Amino acid sequence: MERMTLEQLARLVDERPTPEEQRVLDGDPGLRRELEALKEQSWSLRNLPALLPPVGGWHQLEKELSAAGLIHGQSRAAVWGKWMQVAAAVVLFIGGTAVGWVSASQPGLRPGGGESVAALVSFDQPATLAEATALVEQKDLEFKAALAEYRHLLLAQAGAQPGQNPAARLPYIQTLAAATHIAAEANPGDPWINSFLVRVMEEHEQLQRRISLDNWN
Amino acid sequence: MSHSPGQSPGSREIEAQLIRRACEGDGRAVRTLYDRYAPRVYAVVRRIAGDDDTAQDYAQEAWIRAIRALPTFRGDARFSTWLHRIAVNSALQAVRKEKTRRMREVPVPEVVPVAPDVGDVLLERKLEAALDRLPDGMRKVLILHDVEGYTHEEIGTALGVTAGTSKSQLFKARAKMRRMLRGFEASAKEVEAWSV
Repeated sequence: MERMTLEQLARLVDERPTPEEQRVLDGDPGLRRELEALKEQSWSLRNLPALLPPVGGWHQLEKELSAAGLIHGQSRAAVWGKWMQVAAAVVLFIGGTAVGWVSASQPGLRPGGGESVAALVSFDQPATLAEATALVEQKDLEFKAALAEYRHLLLAQAGAQPGQNPAARLPYIQTLAAATHIAAEANPGDPWINSFLVRVMEEHEQLQRRISLDNWN
Repeated sequence: MSHSPGQSPGSREIEAQLIRRACEGDGRAVRTLYDRYAPRVYAVVRRIAGDDDTAQDYAQEAWIRAIRALPTFRGDARFSTWLHRIAVNSALQAVRKEKTRRMREVPVPEVVPVAPDVGDVLLERKLEAALDRLPDGMRKVLILHDVEGYTHEEIGTALGVTAGTSKSQLFKARAKMRRMLRGFEASAKEVEAWSV
């Protein structure tokens, strides 16, 4: 045997070489390096991480399972829907600044086409544009503080200390992620909400990876 | 299969309860199972599918099949193993269907050439990209053997081929992957040289 092909080497990743093959390998450092590279390749393939499914995969599946009569009842996302509606309304109010506030406070005008902000969030009516702007800024700060506090409470409720049950934390993180997504969609230019969303999504991804590993290993 | 038992009795019991509730159609229980296993299910069907759009359809189909089949799950194997089998079989069947459909329409080349992503230096990304470029038959065998830990006999059963065919496809696939990865390495070095 003069030389070995890559396919022959590929067999030696998990099979012992024949004496003749061993002799060829012993005499050719290049072939030995290739064999090592093939072994490393197989090892790396075995250790490829799980892949995150696309965002929204569950909602599509939920629809199909419901249509097929395979599930009933509300998922957690639906249970938290009202909260998210409020969050979205608050963000719409904040994002719309004074104009948003004026239209929201007038009967028949509903920002975003949904439930009126006035119906969901109560506040004192400002008399001037300056007061309205100040109120918007104040509500902006209150909303952000509320979102941060909400996160804190959710995680506390789920036992969110590092090392504690990640499966129990997941629904809470997902709820928070869904609410923050709505906030970001309604107010895409807000750097605070966007950085908050990034943090929540990172946490969500890490949690999913950990749960997947825990369940598979 | 190489999956080791890593669940405590407590978590097995919790999972058994979840499965019972999911069998009864409890949406929250199904959601919890989905959250736990979606990344692994998606990973295996994505690698078999070879692209994201197809993988989404395969993953949905796999989950619907699994939820439909839940009442038949007896708990002899781990739920993760059972679900994994369903996902693999569902994706393989979908690939066969798709292949038949495409053969009726237009002939497709065995290998779809794609320009290497020379800017990507992460090994995982390179491996995933190379996997996507393998011909269907080789990719399935390589994924089932090297990624998922199936034996050649198991692969033979799943794909309807002999264990010998599975072995031969595996060696070809490994060699082809190696050539592609060498190509990536060469391209990356070229980029580095240009950027100096």
